[in-house]
Amino acid sequence: MTALLEVQNVSRTFGATRAVDNVSFAVQPGELLGLIGPNGAGKSTLFNLIAGVMPPSGGQIILDGTKVTGRKSYKMARAGVARTFQIPKPYRQLSVIENVMISAFLRERSVTAARDLADVTLSDLGLAPYRDRPASELTVGLLKRLEVARALAMQPKLVLFDEIMAGLTPTEVGAMTEIVASLPARGITVIWVEHVLYAIMKTATRMVVINRGSVIAEGTPAEVARDPLVVKAYLGEEMQLA
Amino acid sequence: MTAMPAKPGLLQQISGLPQRGHMSWFEIILLAICVAWVAFGIAPTFQDVVVLSFLFAGLALAWNIAGGCAGLISFGHAAFFGIGAYTSTILFLNYNVTPWIGIFVGAVAAAVAGAVLSLICARLKGPFFILSSLAFAEVARIIALNWSSVTGGAEGLSIPPVPDLANMVLGSKTAYEALTLVYLLAAYAMTRWLEASRFGFYLFAIRDNDEAAAAAGINPLMVRSAAMALSAALTGMGGTLFAQYFLYLDPTYVISPELSFQFALLPAVGGLGTAVGPILGSFLITPLSELLRANLGNAAAGLHLVIYSAGLIVVMLYFPSGIAGALEKLKPRRPQR
Repeated sequence: MTALLEVQNVSRTFGATRAVDNVSFAVQPGELLGLIGPNGAGKSTLFNLIAGVMPPSGGQIILDGTKVTGRKSYKMARAGVARTFQIPKPYRQLSVIENVMISAFLRERSVTAARDLADVTLSDLGLAPYRDRPASELTVGLLKRLEVARALAMQPKLVLFDEIMAGLTPTEVGAMTEIVASLPARGITVIWVEHVLYAIMKTATRMVVINRGSVIAEGTPAEVARDPLVVKAYLGEEMQLA
Repeated sequence: MTAMPAKPGLLQQISGLPQRGHMSWFEIILLAICVAWVAFGIAPTFQDVVVLSFLFAGLALAWNIAGGCAGLISFGHAAFFGIGAYTSTILFLNYNVTPWIGIFVGAVAAAVAGAVLSLICARLKGPFFILSSLAFAEVARIIALNWSSVTGGAEGLSIPPVPDLANMVLGSKTAYEALTLVYLLAAYAMTRWLEASRFGFYLFAIRDNDEAAAAAGINPLMVRSAAMALSAALTGMGGTLFAQYFLYLDPTYVISPELSFQFALLPAVGGLGTAVGPILGSFLITPLSELLRANLGNAAAGLHLVIYSAGLIVVMLYFPSGIAGALEKLKPRRPQR
């Protein structure tokens, strides 16, 4: 089986800082890969490298067997990679449905088809009641959901979620977890960065843990939760998984 | 589906801004009045003001495509206006090409200039883009001033005042009213079409957040260049109409910063990014500035500018989203359909 995404020895330096240092991992189609690590570990930088926001200083990124290292973000989007932003970036002057329509236009060329797809996506995420509100009026929790809606309306092969649970109530976390868990069955592979550990640990099929720009552990959620290095660097204490 | 407000009242219908791509009753009535005004020859003594109001409404709509919809605030649109005016006039005077064709050649020339400007300024945003657009127009003005073998330099160019429809030199002011009204309506239709189209959504996306737009598969540089080219083309056509109305062109007015500011100001007063805003802006400001100039220009030099500027400050303070924005606040938001 060929991997959907291969990250090979990828590094990124900012001046003297190595934000991402020789990171390698692969994601198989249909996987739900959790990516965790302490603040400043380099998770968001890694996302930006994969999504094409900035080129890596070294290493290769391979999507579906094609080298895509350093490709611009709009090209990565067209190649089937969607992402959310940790700090939501809505189109503030547009309504919620219009925000989602812009993503839907990636695969649906007509306005009507894009609107229909956006409507379905909004219902899936429980955003239908806010359909015609300006995005500038949404609360943080709703903006996070809007980020997810926009990513999914692109009908991607691979989606990168960057802390989509932050700011959500426990009920909302439950609903969102169900949505994320349903994606592999719809043919969408997921890489998910999250600090809300109980959500990611019970949903992810595999985990990669990074600290100070490097991978320190990889395995099933249960394996990494027991790993002494992970406990020391991030968890602080052993995590009991249900 | 959100709960819809029970039947919007008449006031809301009249005052309201329409959904994207759709006309409201307010706009239909407004534009119908314009057509009737020209058809029935109302207020023959103010025909100069009417021609200019129509022309500048079209120019404001043209500027609004870049500045309002795509967020490319330009203080250099006089360059495109000048390119359009000079292209058609030079083609007519030197090569006997009718301005009816020249207007489109000028539009293409202005579009190329617009695309070049946005490619050069690809990485510049906000104030940096504004400053470079201003500099771009200054460069165009200096070229026009010094390339006198073609442009006539500071002396300018004159079109022989011989009325001939074939040469777009019209015999009556009513005919010019009709011509500039057609220009206004074309710019309005273009804006309405644009904002309901996929491309229009792309403009709004790069205006509001170009990083998010790129993540959604939109190439910001392409969209910016296309928006600027379209806006510049329409502005260039306005330049040709201006030249054919006044039958005289010189760089000091046609490519002046004042003109660039005027293009930006009208949509800002009327309502940025809307289709009716730039029209309202021009209908308010153009007659006001003409009347002030005519009545106070001789009494005390510059007094009309002081009053004019004070009025603008008041509008900016109390209606930051323009007249159209103030009207929109009066009505509930209707769903996207």
